[in-house]
Amino acid sequence: MLLTLFLLGLVYAVLIGVLIAAGAGAVTVAVLAAVLFAVQFFTSDKIALFSLGAREATPAEAPRLHGIIERLCIQANLPKPRVAIAQTAMPNAFAVGRSPKTATVCATTGILDLLDDAELEAVLGHELTHVQNRDVMVMTIASFFASIASFIVQIGFWFGGAFGNDEDSGPSWLVVIAVSAVVYMVSFVLLQALSRYREFAADRGSAILTGRPSALISALLKISGGMQRIPQQDLRAASGELAAFYIFPPKAKQTVASLFSTHPPLEARIAALQRLEAQLQGTA
Amino acid sequence: MGFLDVLTGKRKLAGPAPDRLFAMSTAYVKLETELEMTSRGAAAIVFQPLPTADFESIVRDMEEVVRATGKDSGTAVDSSDDQFGFRWLVLRGGDFDDLVVGINAVSGALEAGGYGDRVLCAVFAFQDSNKRPVYWIYNYKRGAFYPFVPAPGAQQQRDNERELRCQAQMRTELPVEQDLERWFPLWGIPI
Repeated sequence: MLLTLFLLGLVYAVLIGVLIAAGAGAVTVAVLAAVLFAVQFFTSDKIALFSLGAREATPAEAPRLHGIIERLCIQANLPKPRVAIAQTAMPNAFAVGRSPKTATVCATTGILDLLDDAELEAVLGHELTHVQNRDVMVMTIASFFASIASFIVQIGFWFGGAFGNDEDSGPSWLVVIAVSAVVYMVSFVLLQALSRYREFAADRGSAILTGRPSALISALLKISGGMQRIPQQDLRAASGELAAFYIFPPKAKQTVASLFSTHPPLEARIAALQRLEAQLQGTA
Repeated sequence: MGFLDVLTGKRKLAGPAPDRLFAMSTAYVKLETELEMTSRGAAAIVFQPLPTADFESIVRDMEEVVRATGKDSGTAVDSSDDQFGFRWLVLRGGDFDDLVVGINAVSGALEAGGYGDRVLCAVFAFQDSNKRPVYWIYNYKRGAFYPFVPAPGAQQQRDNERELRCQAQMRTELPVEQDLERWFPLWGIPI
């Protein structure tokens, strides 16, 4: 999905570069970019929900989900968003919408089955914090500014040459496209860093809303599955075997890949939440 | 396990780390006063019996010693095997400090006999204000405690959120196991 996002943005940047290189005036390109942005701004939430097959759920159909969201909205002083459910076994929950009034919160059937009430409340609190912080709008505007930055660089490259003294007509179209691609790539990495920061903020917001950071830790461990979770296997069955089998630690640290991820690594999120819990308990 | 051990395939079981066990005695003050978790008056030590003659005699001698000292403090000693083939030595009654001392005596005797690496863990049973059981398990091989809260009901479920909260509450009093993947449960604890 990350690769898709990156390539999509790259296509935007290259498209604008091509248009400029083909001689389209700055005004034309600016109008086109504004139109594309407006389309993205107003319809992205509907597209996201449609792509997952999410259907709006009434309180009669999903009383547990509605009840939890209502309680959280009272606590957060937010208007109640639309509630949707996606039929998939993959546990996930997300919020779309550019403002609290137009927001939709979606949960998959997978997550509704996997988590108990306290954990589900923690996860939905995380999503509602995204809504409250208007993260969708923030990220959209930030990525728009990244496109604007690459647009300005291209304009500068193309038209800056016209003011030069020599007869050459300025940099070739290849250079323009390459420059806009580079600017885009740099801003992409920065956008991912921004996205990770917003995730930490949403975790913190959930802990404050529910007052139970440990419920969110428990939910994250369940959703992540795999190695990093509190084990179910009895100590007597596990003793002695584990150290022998793993020559390399199961969780190898990835440094370069972490530049490109939208979410912070699970351990960092759990550590931050554990710090919050310790502060709550007065042992920090 | 060093790198050479990995290459040559030698396996040494980790020896016990008994010194941090006594942190539970001091931690009990906070557990009882601030967190309203009272001891259920029972603690157990779990070890892996070897079918050698001198192991059995060491265990028998150790049980005698613990029973003798237990008479003064009112601690009763009970021994049973579980379905994994591990031996449970359960101490009941008496002061909480007596339980900790008794557990330490058992692990000390096993270590003196050269079977220290057979000791798996010690379990201290508590209950909260709702009478729900909360166990603190001391892993001898790691030298650290971790909480274990089985969820009520017959199926093997645990209350992860409660355990994480216990960890946050007691992290300044007890050496709590940092690695969540080492918080192995013990299903069917007899105390």
